[in-house]
Amino acid sequence: MSETPGTHSRLQRLSELSPAAALGLLAGVLLLGNAAVQEPGFFIDQAIGGLVYGMILVMISLGLALVLGLMGVVNFAHGALFMLGGYFTYAAMASYGLPFWVALLIAPVGVGVVGIVMEVIVLRRLYGKNPIIGLLATFGLTLMISEGVRFVWGASAVQPDKPAFLTGGTDLLVTQVGTYRLFTVVVSAVSVAAVYYLITNTDLGLTVRAGVQDGEMTEFVGVNLPIRFTAMFFLGSAIAGLGGALRVVEQGMDPGVGQDLVLLAFVVVVIGGVGSIFGSVVAGLLVGWAQFLVPAVLSALAITTGISSIDVNGIGVLVPFLVMIVVLLLRPRGLFGEEGLLE
Amino acid sequence: MSRPDENEPAVDPVASPADAALGVDALTRTFGEVVAVDDVSLGVPEGELRAIIGPNGAGKTTLFNCIMGTLSPTEGEVYLSGTAITDEPEERRPHMGMARSFQSNQLFTDQTVLENIRVVVQTTQQGAFSLDLFRSHYDVGRERAIQIAEVVGLTGDLEAEAKNLPHGEQRRLGIAMALATDPDVLLLDEPTSGMSPGATTQTAELIEEIHDERGLTVVLIEHDMDVVLSISDRITVLDRGNVIATGPPDAVRENQAVQDAYLGGMREEL
Amino acid sequence: MSGHADGQASGGGSGGDRSGGGGPGGGSGGWFSSGTVGQPSLFERYRIPLGLLVLVVVLRPAVASDILLGYDAIASKMLIMMLFVAAFNLLFGYTGLLSFGHAMFLGFGLYIPAILVQNGLWVLPAGGNVTFFVGVVLAVAAVAVYSYLLGKLIVGMGEIYFALLTLAFAQALYFIVLRDWWELTGGSNGLSRGTLPDFVEQTRGAISIEAFGLSVDWYWVVGVVFLLGMLALWQLIRSPFGRSAIAVRENEQLARAMGIDTTRYKIWAVTFSGVFSALAGVLLAIQNTGVAIENLNVFTSGDTVLMAVLGGISYFFGPIAGAFTWLFVEDFLTDFELWQFPLSEVTLVTLDLGGVLAYWQFFLGALFVVVVLTAPEEGIWGYVRSIPTWLYDRVTEGEQ
Repeated sequence: MSETPGTHSRLQRLSELSPAAALGLLAGVLLLGNAAVQEPGFFIDQAIGGLVYGMILVMISLGLALVLGLMGVVNFAHGALFMLGGYFTYAAMASYGLPFWVALLIAPVGVGVVGIVMEVIVLRRLYGKNPIIGLLATFGLTLMISEGVRFVWGASAVQPDKPAFLTGGTDLLVTQVGTYRLFTVVVSAVSVAAVYYLITNTDLGLTVRAGVQDGEMTEFVGVNLPIRFTAMFFLGSAIAGLGGALRVVEQGMDPGVGQDLVLLAFVVVVIGGVGSIFGSVVAGLLVGWAQFLVPAVLSALAITTGISSIDVNGIGVLVPFLVMIVVLLLRPRGLFGEEGLLE
Repeated sequence: MSRPDENEPAVDPVASPADAALGVDALTRTFGEVVAVDDVSLGVPEGELRAIIGPNGAGKTTLFNCIMGTLSPTEGEVYLSGTAITDEPEERRPHMGMARSFQSNQLFTDQTVLENIRVVVQTTQQGAFSLDLFRSHYDVGRERAIQIAEVVGLTGDLEAEAKNLPHGEQRRLGIAMALATDPDVLLLDEPTSGMSPGATTQTAELIEEIHDERGLTVVLIEHDMDVVLSISDRITVLDRGNVIATGPPDAVRENQAVQDAYLGGMREEL
Repeated sequence: MSGHADGQASGGGSGGDRSGGGGPGGGSGGWFSSGTVGQPSLFERYRIPLGLLVLVVVLRPAVASDILLGYDAIASKMLIMMLFVAAFNLLFGYTGLLSFGHAMFLGFGLYIPAILVQNGLWVLPAGGNVTFFVGVVLAVAAVAVYSYLLGKLIVGMGEIYFALLTLAFAQALYFIVLRDWWELTGGSNGLSRGTLPDFVEQTRGAISIEAFGLSVDWYWVVGVVFLLGMLALWQLIRSPFGRSAIAVRENEQLARAMGIDTTRYKIWAVTFSGVFSALAGVLLAIQNTGVAIENLNVFTSGDTVLMAVLGGISYFFGPIAGAFTWLFVEDFLTDFELWQFPLSEVTLVTLDLGGVLAYWQFFLGALFVVVVLTAPEEGIWGYVRSIPTWLYDRVTEGEQ
């Protein structure tokens, strides 16, 4: 954490891969090309779907990676915060009749506040402790939030109505894509970029980072660390909440979503490399695309080769885990992980 | 050893690293930009009690960690009785005849004193890994563990949990565990730190006793100059990662470079 | 469990109850101590087997009594889950590796024998008794190989990675079973028909085992397997192997410096834990007269962690206490009729707590957080164990 290599140099480091990896990359490009030619409509659909899903994953993983990389706490409850974002949005829109825009603002702030409460009551006690304790404690919090959600909103899925101006589709030549999906991509990209900038380029990110390395020194300099830690946590929670808000309108939300997605967020963080915020952004998109494009690639391959059994039904959900296993075998630290973190 | 003047401290290793009981050849270890150990060479002849001294941050513990394989050196080699062991994994080294005690109290804190020693005895007897599943651990290595506890004077506390021991006894337990590996070369990292003067003397006597009776080669990092001067055969002085002098206690004490770098600094503090 | 209060089995004599080696240290020479250094009395040495035996004998009548649950079908399930959580705790409490995907190991035992019995294989007829036992052997072999390789792959990456990766691998396995590409696992429906071998008899919901002209109640069969499994775990922990594993958990850096090959001990601990978990899975498939995929999902894995930590990971009886409490509370609080019985007679004011208590997991989560933050290694059993000491202190205080 002592130095922050620029994005460029990190990409360069990644490019120093073996010839075998380059060959694999080439094969991947060929397969994708084949899929794009065989079924262009389906391919674009899946690509957009993967992008939307990937952005949502990034929004969850970013907060997770933030708290893990900077404060050394594995926040299992991060998925629950995401879920809460969806439910807050639902409540604001369906129960209080607020417009979508307002809900989109309220939900992240509300989740951020829940995050603050969590941080102040529980997580603050975990800094510097064995990360396993943090994982366990936040797992307990997850249980509480899920059960609380079940108590308030019931066990079945909820979904508010889409705002009218986002219901239509946008024509992309070979296929039509829901306008709402494009909206999701834009909002999440802007918010992720903003948070990323805030962490890497402002005083806040730098002092928290310094504080993690030497809390005493930073406090001596006169920076109020606890408040900055809390602010960091608010940020991570809020962006997960925003992700939940974006998702609930399109996909709905149920009390189990949090656990499922936090699992994928873990996968993303492991692939990206624990400790690397940049890595979690890249890996989030990678996982999203892989999950949606691998079925497209296989389907196209089945058409090209005529072997229908290649097109394995429902392989998508398994892909993130396969990607993770491959990455771990080739690069145990993850794509952009730093040595020695959490070892 | 054919040296021109045994009593004159010098920078070069006493024995050739590749032949000595414990040798370090041109070892460097960096952490990022920081060079913690800078091109250090040492040769500790068999049976010698060597003290390594130096101001804080001189790289003493890093050197120990490199010797024991806790850290891998950036450059250079480590030799044990003429064999290069630089690439041996850490857990293999105790089985090759070298053992260490830690600067901070590293113990199996929830276990009894006896179990702390016994599990090391067991490891020494059975190797780094053993699927010994059908016996009770009571039947493995207990007598030997009790013997070792006797050597360091912990017989009265065998059933006490390690975490409940007074600080001084915890340090002695650390030494006992290192002894339980049956080492030829014993590395002790500040065995008397945090001890009362009385306990310090006791521990110094214990180290001397172990060294004399078992003919062990002992390498000792130590801050207490009285201990260093009274028990060591030779002293190596490290400063900022470099060896600035090696020689018999008296010679090192009189050495100007040592006084400037180390003792001089301490005088200023006083 | 500890019949005496002075220092509760000093260190070496704890018989492995406390993974850390002993209760609060202190004098030897109590009622049951032999006085020889490090040499426990017979009672100390075999305290745990004795306790297990008592547990099996007492558990069913206890839960069946009106004060507790009033019916006994849950007793055998409790024993099975106890075995499973104890197998989990071999890894977490004794070796220091937190598996967040332990349901996957359970799954080997759940599915493999059931699939084999349902479909038969070559000379092995569907539903055959031999088929079943071949299935069990196959399940154990498969889980051993799988967990060994998994351990080899992920054990060296650090504790947190281990937790996250077990979670991820378990989820991957779950999806494979859910998708059911080879049409063996029944996907989301699980397996419900023809998974039981011939020797399992079902009469009005009760299971019994018919063998050699005898009919044995299912509970006693579970009891025997439970005892054998737990005794094996106990022996594992008190063996030299187990002590090395404990050393790895207590201080990995020191263990390595003292010549312990920490990586290999971890890999083997994963393997043993996997095998015993699968064994529990075999029992569970018969207990449930089929396989539900829910037993393989992330919530089952999570519950395992909860049970172990609530029970007390430092103690051999911790997971047992945890599994018991969990299943008891689940049954007690989610069942309204049973719930009203004890409370309506005791309290004058009838509070309508039933509605809130249906969400008992909220309170459990809260309790869990408190336990983790205050005494993560003690749990319920740590608390129970401290009572005799506390009482003893009180009594002696009075005497002085």
